[in-house]
Amino acid sequence: MLLKPLYHGHVPLRTIDRALMVISCSVGAYFHPENNNYIIGLGESTAFKPVLEKLRDGMLSDKTGRQILRERPRITSSSLNLNYLKNLPSNTLGNTYYKWLEREKVSPDTRAPVKYIDEDELAYIFQRYRECHDFHHAIAGLPITIEGEISVKAFEFANLGLPFAGFGTLFAPFRLNATQKKRIYQIYYPWAFSNGVNCKSLLNVYWEKILEHDINELCKELQIEKPPDLRQLRRLQKIKNRSK
Amino acid sequence: MFKSSDQIFRSNRPINLLVRRCLATTVNNLSPILSDITIVGGGPAGLTLAASLKSSRITSNLKINVIESSNLQPVNDFYLDPPVNYTNRVSSLTPQSIDNLIEIDAWKFINNDRICSYDNINVIDGISDERLDFERSEIATMCENINLQSALYQRIQELNNDINNDNLLNIIDNTKVLNIYKDQENEWPIVQLSNGSLLKTRLLIGADGSNSPVRKFAQIQSRGWSYNKNGLVATLKLKYEDFRSIAWQRFLTTGPIALLPLPENNATMVWSVDPSISDIILKKLSKDSLISLFNSLFILSQVDLNYLYKFINSNEYNENELIEEINWRIDVHKNKIGIEKFNDSYPVEIIDIIDNSVNKFPLKLSHSDSYVSNRIALVGDACHTIHSLSGQGLNMGQADVKSLFNFIETGCKRGLDIGNLLVLEPYYSDRYPLNHLTLGITDKLHKIYSIDFLPVVKLRSFGLNIVNNLDSVKDFMINQVSGPSK
Repeated sequence: MLLKPLYHGHVPLRTIDRALMVISCSVGAYFHPENNNYIIGLGESTAFKPVLEKLRDGMLSDKTGRQILRERPRITSSSLNLNYLKNLPSNTLGNTYYKWLEREKVSPDTRAPVKYIDEDELAYIFQRYRECHDFHHAIAGLPITIEGEISVKAFEFANLGLPFAGFGTLFAPFRLNATQKKRIYQIYYPWAFSNGVNCKSLLNVYWEKILEHDINELCKELQIEKPPDLRQLRRLQKIKNRSK
Repeated sequence: MFKSSDQIFRSNRPINLLVRRCLATTVNNLSPILSDITIVGGGPAGLTLAASLKSSRITSNLKINVIESSNLQPVNDFYLDPPVNYTNRVSSLTPQSIDNLIEIDAWKFINNDRICSYDNINVIDGISDERLDFERSEIATMCENINLQSALYQRIQELNNDINNDNLLNIIDNTKVLNIYKDQENEWPIVQLSNGSLLKTRLLIGADGSNSPVRKFAQIQSRGWSYNKNGLVATLKLKYEDFRSIAWQRFLTTGPIALLPLPENNATMVWSVDPSISDIILKKLSKDSLISLFNSLFILSQVDLNYLYKFINSNEYNENELIEEINWRIDVHKNKIGIEKFNDSYPVEIIDIIDNSVNKFPLKLSHSDSYVSNRIALVGDACHTIHSLSGQGLNMGQADVKSLFNFIETGCKRGLDIGNLLVLEPYYSDRYPLNHLTLGITDKLHKIYSIDFLPVVKLRSFGLNIVNNLDSVKDFMINQVSGPSK
């Protein structure tokens, strides 16, 4: 039986399809974390309706959250003027974001469209989460290395409660070596949980509208502390290893 | 309307010979006028009792006075010249209440163009959106209180005009009860009126509402609690007449909201809501925003509504933004479930509110320890008040009146003194348990639906769903409310 798509680009799934997708994507994501498709598939197939509805309720209870749901903005390299961001003062959110993109050599266009979520508005919320993911990286200053991704996922899980972020938090560190594990468990997870739980919901931030804001003030407003620079720590660790 | 005491005495039958002889010796202004029954309160309960007593061959020769504090001229005028718009005090009458009104010949005076019966009740859980549908022909009939009062008033006029009836029922309106005290000789109650006269009565009936002075005089304790909610009422115009004949009720966390049909595209609404919200709504909102808000109450999620209350309460409130927010969310919901299902699942859109029809009243539960004491009986709101969600308040009063009337009639047949507890106590034991049950069930419903704690919501939705699929249980429930189907 073929199900009817509910919005443009929608791929409706039966329960059995969804279950198989969860299993295959979790196995795939564990062994090949570098393959983005597994993470994307796991993210959507485990974004169960009650979880997304809870996120929607959170957005609908907030003025900015409602504005975002109503205007449904998208973050792409065409909606963000990168040249403009480059020329903003260095203490602004926009410039911080630009510098982060440059440092990690990524572009805002690398986000896949949502296909497997069964309601228009909920699909948008997941899309929004995905597109804001880079901003989460940028304000924390965390790189797109596996450690950085795991830390941001833990931060997002604590803040938004998406199941696949929880899986990542729980299982992904198993693949790391001892020094990496130590860093994650002793520095970044404590940071991620305390900040993720305490700060304002990240979905209720209209990033595009506050690009000119001071990054430190924004963090204070959202009640986020910046974690230690991960790339810096890695460099120090490398020097230490070499000197041994 | 007004009669001098002379007139009243001349109309007495021999039963009151003794009374007349007593009076012959005291002719000053302050001598109390004697009567068999004095009914305080000319509302639906008081007038129904008066009409019942006068309609029965056994009790029609009793001397009865009805005292009403407000002006009954509008009630009198309503019969020949009803107002164009519907009034905002509307009650649902159950088939039993109507049967009783037919029995006492008052129903023929009802303005039939202004009543509307419904065949379905659609109950919606405001959080889970679970539904319960009751279906039966004529579950209840929506009727303006003034329409009912007017019919009873006309019936009393008809009885008074009957040439064979030389014992007129006297309705004293525009008159307040100043004081009630006991006659020192025989302990009969004496009612002192604001027009200066004194009424001494064999039996005093309190049909005088929830702050009943009669109950206070009888020192009957009334117990209960305030729900700390207001009932917000409004008379509405719908986009078109709803031929589905449905009474809608949605349980929100503030309390239930009901939209009840009136003839053509008219409807009446009652919403139980926190005083803080109802006050700010009445103060701040224009007609257009009110219409928009009322529509949203049946459709939007609890989260949306909570945001709207907060927004209305905030300094940032402006009318256009409120209406835009509401329309946006309604559209999102419409797109989600599809236009066809949307039209099937919700009431017809409200497009207008009758001027000055928006009003509020406090909601409470109370029940008197007793309905009777020596030479005193209480009926209707004087002995119980109930949350409006079950639409039972007026019907409980009607059932009280019917019961009390039956026992007075029995007392008369047996030649008893109708003020005696031997006559009155059976009425109390007949009505108290039934009223208590109705009060209790209504109160529990209100409490269960005030909770937004998720496990409780799931559990009650599960229960609602089971009940919705068991027709026999539904039939039993609806028969309890509306009486056996015909």
